Amino acid sequence: MSPDEPQGLSRRSLLTSAGALGVGVLAAPVGLARARQAGDTGENAEAQQAADAAQPDAVDGYQSLSLDDAAIVEALVGHMWPADDLSPDGVALGIATFIDRQLAGAYGQGDRLYLSGPFRQGKPEHGYQLACTPEQYFKAGLRQVAEVSAQRYAAPPDRLTTDQLEELLHVISQAPPQPAAFALNTWFNELFYPLFVRGAFADPIYGGNRGKQAWRMIGYPGLPATYATDIVTWRGRRHPASDSPMSIQDFS
Amino acid sequence: MATRLPEKEIVVIGGGLTAGLVARKLVPAGREVLVLERGPDWSGSAVGELPHQRDELRWATYRGMTRRENVETYTLRHSPDEEALPMRQLLSFLPGFGVGGAAQHWNGQTWRFSESDYVLRQHLTERYGAKSIPDGMTIQDWGLTYRDLQPYYEEFEALFGIAGKAGNLRGVRQAGGNPFEPWRATEYPLPPLEMSEASQIFKDATGQLGYEAFPLPAANASQPYRNPDGMQLGQCQYCGHCERFTCEANAKATPASLLFPLVRSRPNFELRAGAEVIRLNTTADGTRLESVSYVDVATGQEFIQPGSLFVLCSYTLSNVRLLLLSKIGTPYDPVTRTGTVGKNYCYQVTSGLNMFFPDRYINPFMGAGALGFVIDDFNNDNFDHTGLGFHGGGYISATQTNGRPIDTRRLPPGTPRWGSAWKKANADWYLRSMGLSVHGSNYANARNYMDLDPDYKDQWGRPLLRITFDFDDNDALMCRYVNGKMEEIAAAAGAKIVGKASVRKSPYDTRQYQSTHNTGGTIMGSDPGSSVVSPHLQSWDVENLFISGASVFPQNSGYNPTGPVGALGLRLAEDLLSYLSGPRRLG
Ligand SMILES: Cc1cc2nc3c(=O)[nH]c(=O)nc-3n(C[C@H](O)[C@H](O)[C@H](O)COP(=O)(O)OP(=O)(O)OC[C@H]3O[C@@H](n4cnc5c(N)ncnc54)[C@H](O)[C@@H]3O)c2cc1C
Ligand code: SF4
Repeated sequence: MSPDEPQGLSRRSLLTSAGALGVGVLAAPVGLARARQAGDTGENAEAQQAADAAQPDAVDGYQSLSLDDAAIVEALVGHMWPADDLSPDGVALGIATFIDRQLAGAYGQGDRLYLSGPFRQGKPEHGYQLACTPEQYFKAGLRQVAEVSAQRYAAPPDRLTTDQLEELLHVISQAPPQPAAFALNTWFNELFYPLFVRGAFADPIYGGNRGKQAWRMIGYPGLPATYATDIVTWRGRRHPASDSPMSIQDFS
Repeated sequence: MATRLPEKEIVVIGGGLTAGLVARKLVPAGREVLVLERGPDWSGSAVGELPHQRDELRWATYRGMTRRENVETYTLRHSPDEEALPMRQLLSFLPGFGVGGAAQHWNGQTWRFSESDYVLRQHLTERYGAKSIPDGMTIQDWGLTYRDLQPYYEEFEALFGIAGKAGNLRGVRQAGGNPFEPWRATEYPLPPLEMSEASQIFKDATGQLGYEAFPLPAANASQPYRNPDGMQLGQCQYCGHCERFTCEANAKATPASLLFPLVRSRPNFELRAGAEVIRLNTTADGTRLESVSYVDVATGQEFIQPGSLFVLCSYTLSNVRLLLLSKIGTPYDPVTRTGTVGKNYCYQVTSGLNMFFPDRYINPFMGAGALGFVIDDFNNDNFDHTGLGFHGGGYISATQTNGRPIDTRRLPPGTPRWGSAWKKANADWYLRSMGLSVHGSNYANARNYMDLDPDYKDQWGRPLLRITFDFDDNDALMCRYVNGKMEEIAAAAGAKIVGKASVRKSPYDTRQYQSTHNTGGTIMGSDPGSSVVSPHLQSWDVENLFISGASVFPQNSGYNPTGPVGALGLRLAEDLLSYLSGPRRLG
């Protein structure tokens, strides 16, 4: 048994106790109503966008996120990917749905993660060292976010003003890791944020990037990606495929 | 109870690149070859077919073709006096898994090492004096020279249809190629890949500074190709789903496209996928291997496979681990600096920066694994190190391998991480940005090595390999210096915004992909006291065991490793035929 084992245990019990936090702190979810808006986004957009939005989207409803979890996730992704002239907001884009599906699926269940002990507190450069699955870790972090929000604003994240949400995100992404506490910045930067980015930019088949709107926004053409002549023809110029991206579903 | 199987003549452990090179030579020569590969046979699966091949989340972000960590991973500590922790997610490097190994999902950047690489200690001593080499820098000579390997480089490049431009044909300088290239006998088998916008920008900027940029040698076929074995490659589609993916267009040179098909239908060849070798079994006196033990991963059943000749082709990390688990050779001790197995683990020192051009469409989604232009002026000992305080160097390149949107969206420094301004920056710059990178050497350090972990186990309960590794002062000084040259190029390129390059230094960060260029641990040399295998890659301890792969490199050069891995593998195949004609210690 290694001398560090008790530390590992204390981190696990910390997670367990984190699990007890936050219940009752959260308000009723705004999630379902907002998620329903997702299907409506094509209305005012170009023909192509309308066609894409008309494709059957992932069925709304969550597999992993509870109502309380969903309220926080939707508040964060809706703020981080706001509605503007480039696209509708992150909930409408499907980022919350994507995150939910990932948590419920192989990734969230720690499918290929090495989860054997002993568990020790490493340096940040050692990466993930928890005894729990990404889904469990994700939820423990959500409870911490709720806690910080309750302490600072006496309100859950989904009841905050835009300015407060902005400040909350800065707080949770930058808090220095303390040895004894839940390192919320690590959770945000190494779990939440990457999932957020994947939800925006992964193929729509996973529930995010609905209607390929994030791809269209940046000009990523997606599939089929056969450019043997285009690499010459379109060198230095905008490729027409940048305006009409294709996804896996388009070829299925 | 393990089941004992009928004897095979040659047993190859691992079914990746080097295994394919051995099989390709020995099977047509009439020898009986069995390849044991722990992973699956990927052929015919979604991995190589449209539309699923173009799934960034599955193959790149979640590393779908690489070995799962819960099957086996590695532990890491930064120095011998620390406790190691497991890499619970393998992110810094991606060990291959399944038929074709890592070479199924490699980039295809295919180099020859410098002439000085094989005689590094001798070369640096002659040029700068013995004192210029720090005591802890345990670099060694290979026990052979470039001249020995040159024909095999030629053969490997022909087999793999390397696209490039010669810079030095038999000592005669060739315009358009690498001025620092070691001499070659023939032009590259294929012309270079097309010029991308990023390559053009790089070529112009380096030209202004007086450097001669040249196309990166590529195992992405610039044209349809038929190799000397009659095997075919299609034309590269610049599809941007190359590294971490297998090629859907059959344009990337891989073991599964070029090597195994040649032998698969022959009666004297067998490839058993899902067979994980767990031990090499020596005879009672320890001087020969008599069999290997493997587990059928589908059933968990254990088998004993006897043979008369064994070739370890399981990639650097498994090569070392299998020797240690089988108690072959003497483990390296970093305190006394005695023992050899696990010694001189090296990696690669890499860095990069981003450039932003409002008026130029770089179109990063059109890319290939080895598409790019390079300058080699600051690599290895291509420049005078007098007074610099470090050895080694790196090549500087503008490669355009992919614009996959989860991972490759370059943003100017200072961009917020979310919100409308972040979205706008993505929209503004995704198509109009490019990167420069440094790919640098990593010279051996007495403290960097591999042994068995005392605490952590794999899925069968056997100790994991423990890696003790960190970047040292030499690495940081070298990186800082070459970064400086890269920054000058960025300044000359006329970008509106240039990002900062960070210096690769301690502590080694296992969360960032740096390269799957792990080297050392079963190093080659002419002295059994300081190496694990001879210059013929024959184990000093066990006569009928040969070891192939970058585990035999005494230290790592500034170039990607697979060119010399391939050349050594082809030379080994000839040595094996010679050994079979009369088993002995090859000299
Ligand atoms: C993303 C990526 C990009 C790369 N790009 C480049 C590049 O551009 N240029 C370059 O020079 N190099 C590159 N490389 C490195 C290149 O792939 C390797 O150098 C090359 O594949 C090594 O050949 P090998 O035969 O030693 O190992 P591999 O090709 O990896 O084959 C080893 C095989 O052994 C099997 N194995 C391991 N342990 C066991 C066991 N116990 N029992 C049975 N089987 C076992 C593995 O499953 C694997 O299939 C890249 C690698 C990666 C991952
Ligand atoms: S970039 Fe070329 S070689 Fe690489 S996977 Fe695509 S088509 Fe194949």
